[in-house]
Amino acid sequence: MIHNLPPGLIMVLGALLLPFLGQRLSAWGALILSSLSLAAFWTTPELHVVTLNLFGQDLNIVRIDRWSWIFGLVFHLAAIIASIYALHVKDTKQHVAGMVYAGSAIAACCAGDLITLFVCWELTAVSSVFLIWANGTETAYRSGMRYLIIQVTSGVLLLSGAIIHYHQTGSLVFENFLGLEPGQRGSVGDLEFGPLLILIAFGIKGAFPLLHNWLQDSYPNGTATGTVFLSAFTTKLAIYSLARGFAGLEELIWIGCAMTLFPIVFAVIENDLRRVLAYSLNNQLGFMVVGIGIGTELALNGTAAHAFCHIIYKSLLFMSMGAVLHRVGTTKATELGGLHKSMPLTTVFCMIGGGAIAGFPLLSGFVSKSMIISAAGYEHMFAVWIILLIASAGVMEHSGIKIPFFAFFAHDSGKRVKEAPWNMLTAMAIASFCCIAIGVYYQPLYDMLPFETHYEPYTAAHVIMQLQLLLFAALAFVFLMKANLYPAEIRSTNLDTDWVYRRFLPRLIAHVGKLIQLIDSLFRFACLSMIKRFLNWLSKSCSARGWLGSTWSTSSMAFWAAALLGAFLILYYL
Amino acid sequence: MKTKDDKSTGGDPNSDASWLERNVNVVIAGLVIACIGSLIAQLWWSPLFDAEHGHPPEFAIEELFGFEAMFGFAAFVGVVFLGTGLRLIIKRDEDYYDS
Repeated sequence: MIHNLPPGLIMVLGALLLPFLGQRLSAWGALILSSLSLAAFWTTPELHVVTLNLFGQDLNIVRIDRWSWIFGLVFHLAAIIASIYALHVKDTKQHVAGMVYAGSAIAACCAGDLITLFVCWELTAVSSVFLIWANGTETAYRSGMRYLIIQVTSGVLLLSGAIIHYHQTGSLVFENFLGLEPGQRGSVGDLEFGPLLILIAFGIKGAFPLLHNWLQDSYPNGTATGTVFLSAFTTKLAIYSLARGFAGLEELIWIGCAMTLFPIVFAVIENDLRRVLAYSLNNQLGFMVVGIGIGTELALNGTAAHAFCHIIYKSLLFMSMGAVLHRVGTTKATELGGLHKSMPLTTVFCMIGGGAIAGFPLLSGFVSKSMIISAAGYEHMFAVWIILLIASAGVMEHSGIKIPFFAFFAHDSGKRVKEAPWNMLTAMAIASFCCIAIGVYYQPLYDMLPFETHYEPYTAAHVIMQLQLLLFAALAFVFLMKANLYPAEIRSTNLDTDWVYRRFLPRLIAHVGKLIQLIDSLFRFACLSMIKRFLNWLSKSCSARGWLGSTWSTSSMAFWAAALLGAFLILYYL
Repeated sequence: MKTKDDKSTGGDPNSDASWLERNVNVVIAGLVIACIGSLIAQLWWSPLFDAEHGHPPEFAIEELFGFEAMFGFAAFVGVVFLGTGLRLIIKRDEDYYDS
């Protein structure tokens, strides 16, 4: 019975009961809900499909195959870890939002049709915004509104695309829109209009270049615990959807390459370390998008594996910065430093997360990212391979070094705060354990991947080459610091594409509004002047001396009467 | 600066230097040794860079001694310099959007 309901529904419906538990117990309720949901999901049979006939249309509200399984599992793990991390939070609405958000994301990745996907897609958007608004600041409110508008727009595009796709094909089944098998490739030119709209919808949620800035705008404005939830679901749901619907789409390779590159440059000069992590997240999504674009079994396995590992180590990094935010009140690099003395455990956990994302051997990122880079190599895509290597060095810069260094080491800020609360430490310890366990014993992860794989990450050559890349990147950091060439952390705002809708468009609209106002006032003035002149003329004309008001002579009146009768006579005979 | 919950004691940064702060040069020396070690390892295990051992080089450049080392160093420096240049263009006051 339970398996006939969409996975995650336990969390969505259960969340509605959380307010009855009170402020303190609702956090524990959220943890129990996510654990129960995982237990139900774990016992779901493989290749499970549930069809619901609605208004004469068959909807696959549940479709669990290997793609859904790996994403559903890691979403559950992320929800449990984030729930433990948020156990101290006495704000029920955050727990409700977190559970609805996580549950709908899980249901989305187990949806077999586009309508069920759309419903869950919008539910993730609407629920997650409360994790930003819960921060309670004006900045967070405005940021949340922008986030909501963009996410809902993505949903509207998805629905529009689904309707058009249904009109064209008569099918709502969510599958590869180009009908490609692994190893085959197609291009955007082969897409119909409906799938093209769906691609844009996925691209918005997946933070494609130029569509990405909602991510860096909103995530740093979430609560310390809310951002941990946010980092796990929205963008990875987009990755899952892209892999399901557009695997083998060649343009994704280059879109992914751009995504791996530009965020690392922005991350270098960003002062807010949670925003650095948002750029870092964007960069990691790029690796996955490249894998989807390459579309071979190895590349798609790499995408799924990397998403799995990424969700855990990115949660870990956001948790460590959340702990800093919780204790210090800020994550701005200019105000941090030296925290390893008072937050040693958080420091260690952050460094494990940094090592995992950088791809150090024996940590999770190494066994997943290398699959995607190898897939590019096996396909002889030299430019892509080089770009991914540059991006790997960039990851080392922003997440492997910058985050731990400026938060916990660097110049001592003199702050001696308490270590993070026990529940935060527990959640970070679990995530750290997962990072190490996957890095050391990766076979269970590989066994879960969408396609069977015999990939061996720990060849001597691969380990040595990766170590060379990362160690010499670290050496470059030392060199730049010693030579005073590393850019100092500065309190500033760095412009990104959100400048367009936060500054340019409002100002443009204001200027256009002023122009319209000016034209309107000139037009009104001209019209009023004309009317005034006409009335003056009329007034004068009708006055005793005016040509209408004055007395006419009898002869001219007789003349005009004769002229009128003559004209009438002529018209009559015509 | 005081913390959110006023938990910062604002101690003297120099009075309680940690082992890491007192031994920065040791850490750097360790990193340099690890870098050299990774290069030596490539020389030592160079026969493993062939098809028989599971890692056939996909591109000729991979066979270049220390390629990844040089690439990692250069890419890191390049990214940082690009960021420094970008700052000149996109940096604004912290309250830019609030003003």
